[in-house]
Amino acid sequence: MVGGRAAGIHRERTMMAPDNSRRNYAVLAVSIAVAAVFIYAGIDKIRDPLQFADSTAAFAILPAVFINLLALGLPPFEIACGVLLLGPRTRRVGALAVAGISVLFFTALASALLRGLTLDCGCFGVGAPSRPRMWLELALDAALFSGALFIYLRSITRLPARAP
Amino acid sequence: MTSTVSIVTPDSARLPQARGLGSQILRDLGGLVLLAIASLAAGLVMNRFSLSPLPIVYQAPEQRFDAELTTLVAAAPFKIAPAATVGLEEFRSAAGSKSALILDARPSVFFEQGHVPGALNLARDDFAHDYRDLAGVLQAAHDKPIIVYCSGGECHDSRLVANALLSLGFGNVSVFTGGWDAWSAGGLPASTGNGR
Repeated sequence: MVGGRAAGIHRERTMMAPDNSRRNYAVLAVSIAVAAVFIYAGIDKIRDPLQFADSTAAFAILPAVFINLLALGLPPFEIACGVLLLGPRTRRVGALAVAGISVLFFTALASALLRGLTLDCGCFGVGAPSRPRMWLELALDAALFSGALFIYLRSITRLPARAP
Repeated sequence: MTSTVSIVTPDSARLPQARGLGSQILRDLGGLVLLAIASLAAGLVMNRFSLSPLPIVYQAPEQRFDAELTTLVAAAPFKIAPAATVGLEEFRSAAGSKSALILDARPSVFFEQGHVPGALNLARDDFAHDYRDLAGVLQAAHDKPIIVYCSGGECHDSRLVANALLSLGFGNVSVFTGGWDAWSAGGLPASTGNGR
């Protein structure tokens, strides 16, 4: 049994090595893609916080006292998320932040669509209010959440086994 | 190396692993909270040194517009009857014959992408600046009909600008409610650029 298990471990190691390498490349590729989206979105919002505040107010979710705080705090947060995703040691926190913020964006957009609102979400620069664009941005939020979850789950360190 | 060994770990070793995983997730959540606080602090500092800082409490476009209008007129704005409205045919005829001054109340970025030929940009979001720029044209057209439009549908910019002009003493101001959406949906001609 012991010999059989050891042999099994050996086979597993031999077979897993190239697979793990592929997965690491996949995590890196998804991290770069998600980071690029967040850094772009953050820079775009930081240039015109008033426009983003107006877009946020159009959702009619937050009270006035929180709207400008969100408009000022979210752009640096998005840029920081993108930068954190690019570092191997900081990737997990970046991925968790992207997953969390994507859920918030998704919920806000879905709520606006369900309430029949037509608005410009301000997610990626200024644009004319449009429901098809809102649906597109909802799908993008779902994709960003999936990407962030993939990065986070693949980046969680597995602890070494202890001898019984 | 160690990652594959963990797959065949006996059940007795899984509890410490789960605890380790839990503490990792807690550490990550702590990092997330710190990131949020640092981002808000960075945003507030940048706003402090910005050329046009935002107030801490949000003001709706109507409130900002009201405040901006007081820089142009001493009287309290919007204490007047709302502007009349015109339909597409009447607007098209006025624009074609140049019998009325056509004003586009949308932000300049949209105006430059496409507007009614002959229209001038008196943007709601930069009203005081645009009004001063167009002061000569507006005074020359003081007794002429003025028609204001914005995007159409649910946009309020045209009504705000029309009522501001009525407050400023212009007597014949109306709103084309169909706006740019109705004009472009009708396949009517369009101009681009800043129109000056």
